[in-house]
Amino acid sequence: MKSFNARFYGNPRVYLGLVWLALVLIAALFAGVLAPRDPFAIVGQPFLPPGSEGFLLGTDSLGRDVLAGLIHGARTTLMIAVLSTVAAIAFGTVLGALAGYYGGIVDDILMRLTEFFQTIPWFLFAIVLVAILSPSAMNLVIAIAVVSWPPIARVVRAEVMAVKAREFVQAAVVAGQRDMGILFGQILPNTLSPLIVTGSLMVATAILIESALSFLGLGSPGQMSWGFQIGAGRSFLRDAWWLVTVPGIVILLTVLAINLIGEGLNDALNPRLADL
Amino acid sequence: MKSFFLTAAGLALATALSVGGAMAQSQGGTLVQITQPEPPNLAPYVSTSGPIAQVTSKVFDGLLEYNFDLEPQPSLAESWEVSADGLTITFNLREDVVFHDGTPLTSEDVRFTIMDVLREAHPRGIATFRNVTAVETPDSHTAIFRLDAPAPYLMKALHSAESPILPAHIYAEGDIRAHGNANEPIGSGPFVFTEWRRGEFVRLDRNDNYWRDGQPYLDRIVVRFIADASTRTAVLEQGEAHIAGFGAVPYQDVRRLEALDTIEVTTRGYEMISPIVEIIFNTQEPPFDNQMVRQAVNYAIDRQFVIDNVWFGYGVPASGPISSNFEPSGLFGRGIDFSVPDRIDIANRLLDEAGFPRDADGIRFEIIHDVTPYGEEWQRFGEITVQNLAEIGIRATLRYEDLPTWLARTYTDYDFQLTSNFLFNQADPVIGVHRGIHSDRILPGTVFVNGSRWSSPETDALMNAATVATDAATRQEAYQALVPLVTEASPVAYVLELRYPTVLSTQFSDVITTPIGIYGNYAFTHQR
Repeated sequence: MKSFNARFYGNPRVYLGLVWLALVLIAALFAGVLAPRDPFAIVGQPFLPPGSEGFLLGTDSLGRDVLAGLIHGARTTLMIAVLSTVAAIAFGTVLGALAGYYGGIVDDILMRLTEFFQTIPWFLFAIVLVAILSPSAMNLVIAIAVVSWPPIARVVRAEVMAVKAREFVQAAVVAGQRDMGILFGQILPNTLSPLIVTGSLMVATAILIESALSFLGLGSPGQMSWGFQIGAGRSFLRDAWWLVTVPGIVILLTVLAINLIGEGLNDALNPRLADL
Repeated sequence: MKSFFLTAAGLALATALSVGGAMAQSQGGTLVQITQPEPPNLAPYVSTSGPIAQVTSKVFDGLLEYNFDLEPQPSLAESWEVSADGLTITFNLREDVVFHDGTPLTSEDVRFTIMDVLREAHPRGIATFRNVTAVETPDSHTAIFRLDAPAPYLMKALHSAESPILPAHIYAEGDIRAHGNANEPIGSGPFVFTEWRRGEFVRLDRNDNYWRDGQPYLDRIVVRFIADASTRTAVLEQGEAHIAGFGAVPYQDVRRLEALDTIEVTTRGYEMISPIVEIIFNTQEPPFDNQMVRQAVNYAIDRQFVIDNVWFGYGVPASGPISSNFEPSGLFGRGIDFSVPDRIDIANRLLDEAGFPRDADGIRFEIIHDVTPYGEEWQRFGEITVQNLAEIGIRATLRYEDLPTWLARTYTDYDFQLTSNFLFNQADPVIGVHRGIHSDRILPGTVFVNGSRWSSPETDALMNAATVATDAATRQEAYQALVPLVTEASPVAYVLELRYPTVLSTQFSDVITTPIGIYGNYAFTHQR
């Protein structure tokens, strides 16, 4: 049986995903160095096409540098996506773990709650939340987390229920460990694989939600993001194709990269698929 | 004081000439107008929602019409006389007018419309006709307005979009605010309401008994409602619709349509509307309680850049609270010119003097800038404002909320520092300008009034004088004195006069013939 590393890094699709994601991460981390000016700054003539002098990817309707916007947008988009995913995973894990471990009435209550959230169309729910809370980075994180946690809770619940019946858990019970100790010390570490896979794919979904909200004008108004760039450029599709196309491709590639990595993780972590 | 007296003979001549010149036009044709958004009802006498009158102004008539210099022209009233003291206005009505149901128009219809409807229930009419104490009807075709104080601006508000004359025998039945004909208007105008298919169109057909002999030339007007902006552009481009105004077509698309042979674009037809894009300061709280800070912001705004890049050239820099559309009528004044070449230096100097030095990062202070929630243009305008303010060391953060929240923040809670805004000057400064700067218009909870809460006894007195003065010269002097004082105090940064483009098919002629543009009645519109 190959090691995790061999299975993960040996996968060419994972490799491609990692390269692109690394580029995006570098842009996000070093945005201030790569594009030191405010991405909203009016720096050139409006509607300069890509390749114009000084503006590799052209300028938008107000003469703002599209490349600088992409670099700073990477920071906003990734930050919101990662934070909201972390929040969704933390909340979903706790709920799913409690439901799966205790079963019975606790399970019933928590799962009905989860189903309640699952029945609301998630994107409309996110729009309503942002509209009520008013658009800001913090509120975007909240809105995305609130619509994203139910699948996590269900995955964790199912895993906990499966692991709960194993001998080592019964041994821990016999040894007199407390419920919380068993749940967080014994059971949860053994449910990590599916959680990691679901979580990584969720980052991709969060990027899409954030972009869609920004596209609708519900993004954080003071922060450049990819969705904002597309939303602002949408009206000029016939006059300035690059305003929509370039950020669109970046979103596509980033979401694709995260999906490739997520699937790579799934393949590498799932022993049954290991040698296929 | 001078009284206006227009003889019936003179007017008849003018009418005869215009009719004579137009007689050669061919009959027929259907004009398709795009109105955006769909109106909530067709009751312009109780609701001032913009799209309504774009439809109903073809169905109703007003007492008067106006030419491009905003001078009154005969309509239902063939002549009129304003007494020297401005307290009595006599209208002589045409005797050949019948409503669409065949009933003749009488002075009782005028009395009913003014006293029982517009003065009671019309959002602007309540103020416009405030001073009218009675409308007397000595005979069936004479209506005499009795006023307790002169109201010269009233004479500008009598066109069919603003003050439609209703048939009393229909609209006097029941509650006017929930009338059975609210969606099936009956008037005396050139076109008869036929059908309203919700979400699609309103159909208006030619009024064969219209009092202007031979008019209208068109057989039909169809007003279409198309929610998607790019579809509106495409429909005009393909010639399936013939006219759209009021920003119904995105500005960048207007430029493209203008290049087509089948389409012309005009910015005329908004002279009685005169939209002004502005930025309001909260003058009751720091830092904008300081006049020098307000002036500095006024200097910092790059007006031409906003005009060129947000409204794609459809505007001119504003020179004060009053639109230059009033220049021909004299009710105009010019304030401080904030667009001087060294404006950024002046702004920086003002802020230094006001006691707001730059810190190590070059920042003097931070503020939140609220953006008018009217869509994309306003968001771009806000982003430019943030950049302009950064140049003078003010770090602004944008806040974008929904309309009710923004209105409450600006006009009820006054919980803002700086907000963009959009006000129409309307037909007269008394109606459209005073509300933004007069102390008696600081009304918490009332929208589109004095949100900056600035006022001064001196400017109040000038506006009061202009409100009741019956001769143009006195009003002109008052406004010439008022505007410099207002721009000096800068409670509002008047940024630009928006010149809405109206997109028109070259297939039709004489569509935009009055200063109310697509609020006109299209009686003279004909195919080329």
